[in-house]
Amino acid sequence: MPETDKHAAAQQAVDILHEISTILNCELDRRTLSICISMIERGVNPEALAKVIKELRGAAQEVEHNAAATARRR
Amino acid sequence: MAPDRITNAIDSLITHIVPSDPNASEEATQERHDTCFELVKSILESPPSPAISSDVNHASDLIKRKLIQSNPSQALRFSNLYSRLLSLPVLEHKWAILYLLYQLADSPDPNEPLPLSPVKPSAPNYRDAISRDVIKRQGRERTSKTTRHEEEQFKDAFQPEGLKSLPPKVKEAKQVDEDGEPRPEAPKRDVSLKSTLLANNYSEIDPSESVILRDLPFTLQGLSSTTLPFVKQYTLKLPPTLPLPLVSLLHTLAEPSLLFRGLDEFCKSPAKGLLAQSLRAAISAELRSYLTLIATLEGQIRRALASLDEDAPRAGIGKAGVTLKRCVVWTREATMGLRLMSLIAEESEKKKGGQLVSLIHSFSSSHGDPVVAAFAERLLGSFTRPFYDILRHWIYDGELSDPYQEFFVREKAPSEDSSKGKGAGNVWEDKFEIAKDMIPSITTQDFAQKVFLIGKSLNFIRHSCGDSQWVEDYSKAASKELRYGDTATLETWIDEAYKTTMKRLIELMANKFHLFEHLQALKNYILLGQGDFIALLMESLAANLDRPAGAQYRHTLTAQLEHAIRGSNAQYDSPEVLRRLDARMLQLSHGDIGWDCFTLEYKIDAPVDVVVTEWGNRQYLKVFNFLWRIKRVEFALLSTWRRCMTGVRGVLQSSDPAVVQAWKSTRGVLAEMIHFVGQLQYYILFEVIESSWGELQKRIQKEDCTLDDLIQAHTRYLKDITHKGLLGAKQDDRTSYMVQLGEILRLMLSYRNSVDGLYSWSMSDFTRRQEADIRSTTRHDDDAALPPADQVPSEFPALQERLRQLGSSFRTRLQILLGDLAYQPDVDMRFLGVAMNFNDVYQPTRRKTKAAPSAGSAAANVSKG
Repeated sequence: MPETDKHAAAQQAVDILHEISTILNCELDRRTLSICISMIERGVNPEALAKVIKELRGAAQEVEHNAAATARRR
Repeated sequence: MAPDRITNAIDSLITHIVPSDPNASEEATQERHDTCFELVKSILESPPSPAISSDVNHASDLIKRKLIQSNPSQALRFSNLYSRLLSLPVLEHKWAILYLLYQLADSPDPNEPLPLSPVKPSAPNYRDAISRDVIKRQGRERTSKTTRHEEEQFKDAFQPEGLKSLPPKVKEAKQVDEDGEPRPEAPKRDVSLKSTLLANNYSEIDPSESVILRDLPFTLQGLSSTTLPFVKQYTLKLPPTLPLPLVSLLHTLAEPSLLFRGLDEFCKSPAKGLLAQSLRAAISAELRSYLTLIATLEGQIRRALASLDEDAPRAGIGKAGVTLKRCVVWTREATMGLRLMSLIAEESEKKKGGQLVSLIHSFSSSHGDPVVAAFAERLLGSFTRPFYDILRHWIYDGELSDPYQEFFVREKAPSEDSSKGKGAGNVWEDKFEIAKDMIPSITTQDFAQKVFLIGKSLNFIRHSCGDSQWVEDYSKAASKELRYGDTATLETWIDEAYKTTMKRLIELMANKFHLFEHLQALKNYILLGQGDFIALLMESLAANLDRPAGAQYRHTLTAQLEHAIRGSNAQYDSPEVLRRLDARMLQLSHGDIGWDCFTLEYKIDAPVDVVVTEWGNRQYLKVFNFLWRIKRVEFALLSTWRRCMTGVRGVLQSSDPAVVQAWKSTRGVLAEMIHFVGQLQYYILFEVIESSWGELQKRIQKEDCTLDDLIQAHTRYLKDITHKGLLGAKQDDRTSYMVQLGEILRLMLSYRNSVDGLYSWSMSDFTRRQEADIRSTTRHDDDAALPPADQVPSEFPALQERLRQLGSSFRTRLQILLGDLAYQPDVDMRFLGVAMNFNDVYQPTRRKTKAAPSAGSAAANVSKG
C-alpha cells in the first residue's frame, strides 16, 4: 500500500513539476524531468544540473546541425 | 548516495537529450557520448556555488517574481501548483527542483526551428546586425509610447536603491513594440527567448561591461582610465571593440564627463571681476554636488561589482542593479545642469558685471524649462552675492567699492569734464554716472535710478558737505543684509533709504549751506532785485565808469560797492551773503569804457555750486550785464532829460523857431526812449524774473523735493529768465533779440550823446547871444560877431540831421522788434510788445526777407514820419 501510494504521489509530483516547467518554458519533457528529479533527490546540485542540461542541449544542437549539414551536402 | 545510479541517470539523460546522429558512425556517437559524459561529470563534481540557499521559499520566490514580470496570469497558476507540490510528501529537495526549473526557464524550444539564431561574434555581419538592432531600438525608444515608462524608470532610478528591476509595464510595452506591431499570440515567449539569447551572448564583449562600469566614475570625474582614456582636452576615446549599443550608451555618458572637464577648467581659470569670480565659485559649488553624486554612483557600482556573479549571463550585471544604462539614467539630471552651466560659462566670457547677472536671470525668468529655471534661480542666489555687497555699500555708505566696474554706477572718466567745460568740478553731476548696459534685469530702470541717487547723495553728503558723521551713523543704523530673492523687501528698503537720504540732503542744503538764501541774494543783487542798492551803486560809479576801461581800478570799484551797501537796505543782509558780493572788471578789449566791462559778482563755493553751476553763474552774469546796460541807458537818458528840463527854463530858451522845433522833437524822442526802457525794465524785472522766481519757489518748496529736482528747478528758472528776458540765442545771430536790443540801446546812447551835443551847442549859442547882447549894448558898431555867426549855423543843421536820423532809425528798429514780438509763441513776450505799443503809436513791421530790411523800412518810415 505505501509503495503504490508513494508511486502515485511521485507521479503527481512529476505532473505538477512538469506543469510548472511548461509555465516557465523550460522545454523539458516528462522523461528528462523525471531523470532530473531523481538526480536531484540523490543530492545533485541543481545549479550544476541546469548547466549540464544546457550543455547537453548545445551538444544536441550541434549534432542536429551536423546532420542537417551532411544531409544538405548529400 | 549511490554514485552508480547517478551515472546511470546521466547516461540516460545524455542519450535522451542528445540524439544520435543517424549519419555518424557508431564510434563517433560513442565518442560524443563519452565526451558529454565527462563534461557532465566534471560539472557536477565542481563545488556548489555558495550563493544558493537551500530554502524552498527562496526558489519559489524567484520563480514567482519572474512570472509576475513576464506573465502575471501564470503566476497565480504557479502558486496553486506550488502549494500542491508542497503538500506532497515524496520529494525531499523540492527547492532544488524548483531552482533547476528556474534556471532552465525560457529555454529555446528544441522541436521548433530557432526563431532567432544566435549571432556569432565571429561572423562578419555581427556588427551590422547589432547596429541594425541598435538603430531599430533607438527609433523605437524615441517614439512617444515609451515616454511614460521612461518617467517611471526615472522615479525608480532615483530611489535610494536604484532600479531594482525593470517595471513590468515596461516589459509589456517593449513586447508590444518589439516588432513594430503588436502580435496577439506568443509574443511574450519571443521576448523572453530573445532576452535570454541576448543575455547569453552579452558577456563576449571586450572590455566587459563590469570593467567599463569600474572605470566609469573616473571618467565622470574627468580622469583618464585604461578603458576610457581622455586623448586630448575634450576628447574621450572609446574602446573600438565595443558593440554599437554600448558605444551609444558611452556617448551619452561621455557628455557629462567632457562638460565637467570643461567647467572644471573654467573654474580654475582666473576671473576678471568679482562677479565672474563668484560665478566660478557658484559653478564649482554645483560641481561639488555633481561630484557627490558621482561618489554615490561609485559606491553603488562598487557594491554591485563586489556582489557580481561571474558565472551568470552577462557576468550577472543584469541582477546586480547597476548597469551602464542605469548610470545614464542616474546622471541625466546632472547632465542637464552641467550643460546649462557650460552654456553660462561660455557666454560669460564676453560679458561682465550686470550683464552677467542679466544673463543668468534671463535663464531663471524666461526659460521655458522649469528645471533650467530652478537651476538658474539657485545659481543666482550665491552668484549675486558680490553684486548685492556692492549695492549695500553704495546705498548705505555711499561708497563705490567696485574695483572691476561691474556695478551699474561708475565713476565718470575725468577727461570728459575738461572737454565739456560745462561743469568742471561739479561733484554732483560729474562724479558718477549710470551705465545703462550694466543694469541687471533683476532691477528696473526706475529702481536703478533711485539706487544711483541714494548712493550719489550719500557720497555727496560725505565728501562735499563734510557730514561724514551723519553718513556713518546712518549706515550703522540702517544697514541691512541684501540678498537675491525678496525683491519686494529690497524695494521697500531702498525706498526708505531714498527718503531718508534725500531729506537729509535737502536739510543740509537749506540749513547748513543756506542754499535758499544764496538764491535770494543772487536775485537781489545780480538780477537787480534790490533797487535802492543798484541805484546807489550806479550813481556813485557813473562818473568813474565813463572813463576808459583801462583807467578802472579794482579798489575804487570795491570801495564804491561798499559805499552802496552801506547806504542801502543791503546793509541789513547777512554778512555771509555780503561777503560773497564782489565788483570787478571783465576782460578789457580796446576802446571799451568802464560801463562795458563792469560786473558784479556773487561767489558761490563748494556744495552749493552743485545747484548754481558754472553754467548757471554765466547765465546770471549774462542777465546782469544785460540789465546793467538797460539800467545804464535809463540812467543816462534820465540825467539828460533832467538837464534838458532844467535847461528849458534858462539856457535853452531861444528865439530861433528852428532851434525850438529841434528841441521839441528831441524831447519827444527822448520821452519815447524812456518809455521803451521803462517798459523793458518792468517787463524783465516783474514779468520775467519775479514770475520765474515764484515758480522756482513753488518747485523747491515741495515735500519730496530731491537735490536733482532742485537743480532742475533752478536750471529751468535760469532758462526761463534768459529766454523770456530776450537773451536766448535761439534764432540766428542777426535777428536775435539780444542783438536787436543791443542795437537799440546803442542807438539810444548815441542819441543821448547827440542830445548832449545839442545842449552844449545851445549853451554856447546862448552865451554867444548874451555876449552879443552885452556887446551890442556897449559897442553898437562892432561887426566882430559875424565870423562866429557864420560858424554856428553850420554846426546846428548837422546836429539836427543826426538827431533826426538817430531818432528815425530808433523808431524803425523798435518797429521791427515789435513786429517780431507780436509773432512770438510766448504770451509774456507778446505782452511786452503790447505794453510798449499800447496806444498804437508804432506800426509793427513784420520782416519778411532778411536781406537789407532796415534800409528799406527806414526809408519808408522816414517818408511817413
